[in-house]
Amino acid sequence: MASSIDLFNQYPLVLDPSSKAISLSPSSRNSYTAPQTAALTTELTSLNALHRTLISLDNPSSIPPPPLPINPKRSAQITKLRDTANTAFRKNNHAEAARLYTFALEMAISRPGWEPVTLARDELAGLYANRAQAYLAMRDWVSGLVDARCSVECKPTANAKAWWRGGRCLVEMGRWEEAKVFVGRGVEIEGKESEGGKELIALLAEVEEGIKRSSASA
Amino acid sequence: MVDWITLAVPFAYLSVLIGSLATFSSLYRKRKARKATSLEPWFPPHLQRDIYFSLMHLDPAAPKEKGSGEKEKKVPESVLKAALLRRATEDIKRVMALRSQKQALAMLLQRGSVGDDLWQRFLRAEKEMEEEVRDVVTEANAYVAGWGQTIFQSANEMVNNALIRERIEKHQKKADEEKEWWEKKKASIQEGFMKELDAEKGGPTTTSPAAAPAVAAAVVGAEAKTVEPATTTTTTTTTTTTTTAPPAPTVTESDEDAVLVEADDQPTPAAAAQKSPVGGKKKKKGKK
Repeated sequence: MASSIDLFNQYPLVLDPSSKAISLSPSSRNSYTAPQTAALTTELTSLNALHRTLISLDNPSSIPPPPLPINPKRSAQITKLRDTANTAFRKNNHAEAARLYTFALEMAISRPGWEPVTLARDELAGLYANRAQAYLAMRDWVSGLVDARCSVECKPTANAKAWWRGGRCLVEMGRWEEAKVFVGRGVEIEGKESEGGKELIALLAEVEEGIKRSSASA
Repeated sequence: MVDWITLAVPFAYLSVLIGSLATFSSLYRKRKARKATSLEPWFPPHLQRDIYFSLMHLDPAAPKEKGSGEKEKKVPESVLKAALLRRATEDIKRVMALRSQKQALAMLLQRGSVGDDLWQRFLRAEKEMEEEVRDVVTEANAYVAGWGQTIFQSANEMVNNALIRERIEKHQKKADEEKEWWEKKKASIQEGFMKELDAEKGGPTTTSPAAAPAVAAAVVGAEAKTVEPATTTTTTTTTTTTTTAPPAPTVTESDEDAVLVEADDQPTPAAAAQKSPVGGKKKKKGKK
């Protein structure tokens, strides 16, 4: 019984000598059921991806650095991209702003996993909210809505802007019931006292009116 | 002697007693052990751990395969480190799961809602995870001194980061679906607009130029009447600028703030307008 910790299932793995990628040896594929093979392959894919990121670190020991302190390089890049996007937005160049936000988002998403999750959440929430705003200005309600949803998913609290933008998109598309639920949740989380909360309540009133109007005409 | 025979009785009694007790105890313990081993494990097999150990043991197995034996001397350490990290992330998930389940399970056990062997299984899983975590820490320290302190921190962040990315992915995936829906809805709204627009177009263009002013007159005349039958108006509204100048062949498309003309809820207003231009009821109302 004591040896249970030393027991394991051996998998027939193969190492590609040049790329160092691990894969399941093709000759043994038949000995596993399909879901087993699928699970194994996905696991090996993520293992190989992790291996590549580890190697690309400039750390000689190729282990992930501790979560803190944070490597400032990527944050600086993202901030720079966001600032450019913000100026583009202010100049009413909404399409360009959305494009730049997308770049910044890609960079934020590809942040290595071992960096603090709170940081990633904050960054993503801000970027998604801003991109939602850009889409809103371009009257692309669907994209705006999706981005607003992402933003509040990353950071539900103190994110009244994203709640408002998502609600606005739903209102513009005439999805009153959904808007009511969405904005209602926003008000619940933000509180009625805060400045953002007040705006949300105003939007909620608009939604109620819209529901009345649509039910009256239906 | 006589003494020996009388002494044998208590000895026989003792030996029978001890013997039966020993048999019972050994049987009982054996059965218990068998039961413990037959308990289902709490978690499914630890895939990451298996992969890690498979990689560790890859070297002796490699020469068996032809051709590849000589070249790949050893699995590079970086691969093993990556595998260890993956193993740590899975451990984190499991430890979290155990921690969140413990309270609920203890409560259920107290109330007698669940059996004892479930609790046994749980305790065993807990003990195994403890050993597993300790094992990972020692392995990590063996690669790089001091990594054992941070490997689980890193793994924890990795788990959370993966979680948030997964959720974002889910939302973004919905985008296409939503877009499709919106396009459809937009198209249907537009179609409604176009239908009404065609209805309007049908009137002035098919009637003779002489009759056209009559339509205009009817329209203007109807304007005064719109007040009473307002309830019959449909929700979709079309706006045209044609009514002000009916004979003009260029029927321009809608303009938000222009004068509003609505077809009545007749199925074919165009045909009706054609036959009796004056009879084609038209309502006109300003929007906003």
